[in-house]
Amino acid sequence: MIDLLTYHQTKQPQHWRSLDELADTPEFRRFVDAEFPTLTQSLQSPHSRRQFLQLMGASLGLAGVVGCRWPEQKIAPYSAGIDNRLPGVPVQYATAMDWAGGAVGLLVTSYDGRPIKIEGNPQHPASRGSTLAWQQAAVLGLFDPDRSQSVVERSAGRPYRRSWDDFTAALSPILADNRTRQGQGLVILTEAVSSPTLLEMRSRLIQALPQARWLEYSPVSRDAEREGLRGTFGQPLRAQLHLDQAAVIVSLDDDFLMMHPMSIAYARDFAGRRRVEETTADRPMSRLYVLESMHTVTGAAADHRIALRSQDILPALARMIVQLHINLPAELKSGIEKLATQESPRGLKPELLKHLVDDVLTSKGAALFTAGANQPVIVHALVALVNQALGHVGRTVTYLTDPQPERPSHVDAILQLATLMDAGQVETLVMLGGNPVYDAPAELKLGDLLNKVKISVHLSLYEDETSLCCGWHLPQAHFLESWSDARSWDGTVSIVQPLIEPFFGGRTAAEVVALLLGEQPLKSYELVRRTFGGEQFDETRWEQALHDGVIAGMASPPVTVSGHQASLAETATIFTKAIEQWQAPSSSNFELVFRPDYRVYDGCWANNGWLQEMPDPMTKLVWDNAYLMAPADAQTLGLTNGDMVMISQGDWGLGLPIYVVPGQAAGSITVPLGYGRSAAGKVGNQVGQSGYVLRNLSGMNWRNSVTLTRLNQHRPLVTTQDHHAIRSVIGEQENAQRLGMLVREATLTEYQHHPEFAKHVVHHLPLISLNDEHQYPDHKWGMAIDLNACIGCTACHVACQAENNIPVVGKSEMDRGREMHWIRIDRYFKGEPEAPEVVHQPVTCHHCENAPCEPVCPVAATTHSHEGLNDMVYNRCIGTRYCSNNCPYKVRRFNWFNNAKKLSDLEQLRVNPEVTVRSRGVMEKCTYCVQRINAVKIAAKNDQRPIRDGEITTACAQACPTQAIVFGDLNDPHSAVAKAQARSRAYAMLAELNIKPRTQYLAKIRNPQETDAPRSHEKVEKH
Amino acid sequence: MATMPLKNTMIDNTVEDPRQRAPLVLGNHDFTTVTETICRIPEASRPPQAWYIAFAVSSTLTLMLGCMVVYLISTGVGVWNLNNPVGWGWDITNFVFWVGIGHAGTLISAILFLFRQKWRTSINRFAEAMTIFAVVCAGIFPGIHVGRVWLAYWLAPIPNQMQMWPNFRSPLLWDVFAVSTYATVSLLFWYMGMIPDLATLRDRARTKIRQFAYGLLALGWRGSNRQWLRYERAYLLLAALATPLVLSVHSVVSFDFAVSQLPGWHTTIFPPYFVAGAIFSGFAMVVTLMVPAREFFGLKELVTPRHLENMAKIMLATGCMVGYAYSIEFFTAWYSGNVYERFIFMARAMGPYSWAYWTMVCCNILTPQLFWFKKCRTNPWILFAASIFINIGMWFERFVIIVSSLATDFLPGSWGAYAPSWVEICTFIGSFGLFFTLFLLFVRFLPMMAMAEVKSVMPQALHKQGEHQGLGDYWGDMPRGHEHKPGGHDVHH
Repeated sequence: MIDLLTYHQTKQPQHWRSLDELADTPEFRRFVDAEFPTLTQSLQSPHSRRQFLQLMGASLGLAGVVGCRWPEQKIAPYSAGIDNRLPGVPVQYATAMDWAGGAVGLLVTSYDGRPIKIEGNPQHPASRGSTLAWQQAAVLGLFDPDRSQSVVERSAGRPYRRSWDDFTAALSPILADNRTRQGQGLVILTEAVSSPTLLEMRSRLIQALPQARWLEYSPVSRDAEREGLRGTFGQPLRAQLHLDQAAVIVSLDDDFLMMHPMSIAYARDFAGRRRVEETTADRPMSRLYVLESMHTVTGAAADHRIALRSQDILPALARMIVQLHINLPAELKSGIEKLATQESPRGLKPELLKHLVDDVLTSKGAALFTAGANQPVIVHALVALVNQALGHVGRTVTYLTDPQPERPSHVDAILQLATLMDAGQVETLVMLGGNPVYDAPAELKLGDLLNKVKISVHLSLYEDETSLCCGWHLPQAHFLESWSDARSWDGTVSIVQPLIEPFFGGRTAAEVVALLLGEQPLKSYELVRRTFGGEQFDETRWEQALHDGVIAGMASPPVTVSGHQASLAETATIFTKAIEQWQAPSSSNFELVFRPDYRVYDGCWANNGWLQEMPDPMTKLVWDNAYLMAPADAQTLGLTNGDMVMISQGDWGLGLPIYVVPGQAAGSITVPLGYGRSAAGKVGNQVGQSGYVLRNLSGMNWRNSVTLTRLNQHRPLVTTQDHHAIRSVIGEQENAQRLGMLVREATLTEYQHHPEFAKHVVHHLPLISLNDEHQYPDHKWGMAIDLNACIGCTACHVACQAENNIPVVGKSEMDRGREMHWIRIDRYFKGEPEAPEVVHQPVTCHHCENAPCEPVCPVAATTHSHEGLNDMVYNRCIGTRYCSNNCPYKVRRFNWFNNAKKLSDLEQLRVNPEVTVRSRGVMEKCTYCVQRINAVKIAAKNDQRPIRDGEITTACAQACPTQAIVFGDLNDPHSAVAKAQARSRAYAMLAELNIKPRTQYLAKIRNPQETDAPRSHEKVEKH
Repeated sequence: MATMPLKNTMIDNTVEDPRQRAPLVLGNHDFTTVTETICRIPEASRPPQAWYIAFAVSSTLTLMLGCMVVYLISTGVGVWNLNNPVGWGWDITNFVFWVGIGHAGTLISAILFLFRQKWRTSINRFAEAMTIFAVVCAGIFPGIHVGRVWLAYWLAPIPNQMQMWPNFRSPLLWDVFAVSTYATVSLLFWYMGMIPDLATLRDRARTKIRQFAYGLLALGWRGSNRQWLRYERAYLLLAALATPLVLSVHSVVSFDFAVSQLPGWHTTIFPPYFVAGAIFSGFAMVVTLMVPAREFFGLKELVTPRHLENMAKIMLATGCMVGYAYSIEFFTAWYSGNVYERFIFMARAMGPYSWAYWTMVCCNILTPQLFWFKKCRTNPWILFAASIFINIGMWFERFVIIVSSLATDFLPGSWGAYAPSWVEICTFIGSFGLFFTLFLLFVRFLPMMAMAEVKSVMPQALHKQGEHQGLGDYWGDMPRGHEHKPGGHDVHH
């Protein structure tokens, strides 16, 4: 037998690509460095180099041969079973995800070891079984082939693939040096941390290296509220809203239904007070006032929405305070009075303000004021004072301790870091997550400052903008691959347990800190067990915690608060400053407001195709961001959607197309953050433009007096509604006329007067059929969608996409109107463009009993099941698209191309095996999640029991934070869906077509002030 | 090759003279010269240079069509710009357009035959050929527009292992039957009518190949009395069979729309409206092709101004029917009180596709009004121009019906818009290439006019058969005239 090793060593390479290669010259080495950074290492050792070259030669020679065969894939069966696992039977594990500064508890469905679907954890207070779109989309991020796949060292601008051992080896002398200097020159920067284990690691690090600095920065956070509460009560606190207790809610620019770490729970509580059938005399339907600059999801849910510039919120609040006769500390009193006597902010109608004040006063402590993350500290401080003065504290709002009371605010932290770096005091910078080079205020020029740092390390899921500026990039373990823990906004702690081994050898932040400390144990599991161990945390409790997804008895208790004199004085100075900064509105003076985006948030979701393709709840934009502008401003400036403008201040400028949003405050322009990534990955790169370019330390929330220059360019924006602007006058008129028939709504008074109003909007002849109609003796699946509960958050879109393997088609296909979502949310504006009312209407297949799609299919590919489902038989479909043409709801989706072909091997692992992946040329649509129905039916049949109500939920219904969607068996009169459809508000959209849709809507009820100008009562026909 | 000297030059046969029937063949033609005139075109050793140029252009376009179809099938229907609300666009527009054009042939052959319209004899072969080629073009579009072309055979009721019949409730399936039946009957009708003429070509053939090929196609026609008897019976039967098909095929095509419940499609007026429109467009296409052809191949004496005028009159009549349908649609939409129906018609006239709507109205309603004037009816080039406009208008009619209805239906939230991609445009242009390629091959190799039939409406036919005096005149009974003729009397001149 030939000794292979000697053979390799003695033989010369047989193939070479150039003479340089044959000679192994330094030029060739450099070339390989640049071209194949990972190969340099193997080329440097003569042994493996030869092997490599031989392989290379063989691959060159065999390149032609490869094409002769299909690629072989081997499937190996389990030769031995694994405990507690039945192949093909999905298992759910509880875990938690950090999002927007707090954890959300999740249940992740794992199929044969592959996590494929995320649901909310019903036991977790921040989730209650529901999710928003971000949680749903997280699973796609796990299987993202663009994630960084190895440790990378960068030197002289060139990347070299390294191993974790290389990193440890390279770092150890530096760390040793650090240790001798007690951590002098070592700075750790993390994103917002909620993990108790990581905080534990932090205290260990500070203990071991007292001179080291640990800073925390997130571009979007609720630090202003924290500081405001510190200003009022003398300690940093978190506000916890109790929307189920609030009869009157006043939101000052607070998008609490979408952009709060507790949003899911808040949305649930809010919707609970909006279900008009569940209200009582002492728990009346709540009334929501929203004062805001951008038209948010919360604003769309408001009964009275007042569009104000962000900086006009403070004067408006001052007026409220005066009218509410709140006794303020003397330090603030004069300022408030001064503000309140100023010219009224544009858009604030005195009579509406009076209504608001009356409402708050009559609700006697059951009101609630809340301010948004985008509002300055002073607004939060004043809101806290108001809540305290009116007795809301303890009833509609409670205050919780902050888990890290001593940490500087995020803005301060990043400024500190930049100052230290600039002064050359940072030798070693370890960044655990985050992407500060991209999302820190641009004026800090963090990317340049990183050059002054000797050793810079970045742990991250992607080799992103920050990684590219650092000496070392470390791959981070996705939360679905890691052991960790997380704390929700209300203090509840959950264990984060992995669903799968890290794909690319990633590690958690805690592991990296352990590595820095040279500590044992190194493994994240042990690190977490160290935090949750010891006597009080025995194996049983641990198992229970893992099983439940929450650790009982760890939520923060509410603290009692009282005004704090010293801090109030400080607040007064901030207040004076804030008043000085206020600028009167004028036609040439715009404020530019920075907001996290409803899809990519602060930019960390930029490489997620599901989110990029999810229509923005309000603008319906996809795959782009834009300057959101008020209709009046656009008209004055003569701009239309897609016209490029440059907004600049000082040296910084940013060109983006504008998008006119009804309800945007005049004088205020919003730019959603999180776009314009250059190193996000294939999906997220170069989508939109980065708003961070214009953000600076003094203008983290908004910048005043920006200059707006018109660029004579046009960049078409892609939306899923109003494709290509069918903005003919006639279309707009028709839209307005037809809306009342499609989305039925009334005010509370109207409803009380005429509860059956929704059934009398459209009158038609008796709906009879010439043929014998289907009979449904067993089950009769149906759905009810409560328009009063739906806030338009669009979680259902992504939930459906994840459950049903719905492909991502990309911007150009979206532009052609080829979105594939099985559920869509139609958003309609009503009334004046300056102060519109908004309705969100989720539309999905209605599973009509007389389905118009069924008779027209020439090959009978869409047929009726005996349970009333309108089934789609993919392998029978030849793709005439006639069914779609005949569908009055236009919910059918056609596979114009082979969308599945684009999935990489890694992405294919995420595909739900219960749902067919559709080939090109076939029609698809909502199935009412037939795979879930059948799974439960089979289980029930095996157990010989009837199916319980609520046992079957569709993916959209399960995700819905407000439980607006209810699914079940209409044959069971006690089922939630049957009860919902029996309500007086229930109506079937387009019932007059005699299609007998199985999905019904519950009409929307608004609760405006009764003394308001009479709202088109005459529209509702009385009988 | 004999060219006929025109001694008594064109008399105006468009003048209505109650004393005598207008002649349908002008010039000093006898049976021999008619045969000569028609046969010399396919018998020419080389076609004129213009034919080559036209053939080069049209076959290139056909090649482009082929490329487009291959691209479409290999990539997906997504290469067209169709989208979610607008599931059908130029594909079905072109289908209905071509099927509509394919109406004139059978109408002329069958219905005019049954109504004893003798002037049909000069144009029926030509129109039938056009019908078949148009149906070929029409058939392509529904064939390739489906998502999985390779499974399109599932539309046919073939017994299969899935034990699945197609869905007989679907208008698309009716369409398959209607169009395929129509294509079959039209082809049979065309071919059968051509047999005596093919025999003439066979007998005149000077090369073995021609003799063999025409001989094969002539199916052994000898012109015997018995053969004529059978032939004319069969022709009459086929005419009777084809007549309902003329009405049914476009009615069924209209069911694709009328049976659906989309506003703008869901209209009971569609079947007659579509049939009238189809005849309108079919005649327009016959005129478009005939005017240059008679000029080019020297057939002015056989396709006389009277023929053109008659076609113009039919276009005027059907154009007015179409115009009536347009207006009654508006009335119905208003009178129904159906908001969706009302809106779609308002949107057609004033919405995003109003440009297409008004193009349609101008071309289809205003253009045929020219035919109230005799000058316009008899001037071939005015007719030609008008027919082009009518073709354009009729294409837009289908575009407006299909696209505008789909783009803005019930829920404003799902409204969309549609404009074709370059692939769709090239496919449509390519279908014209195919049409003209087939047509050029037809005029090159087959008798463009039904020689036997033309002869039967000539005065000579009358004089030869004394016993049938008075039958061979303008309103006479043509087929019965043949039954008693001595066998094959006029074929071998």
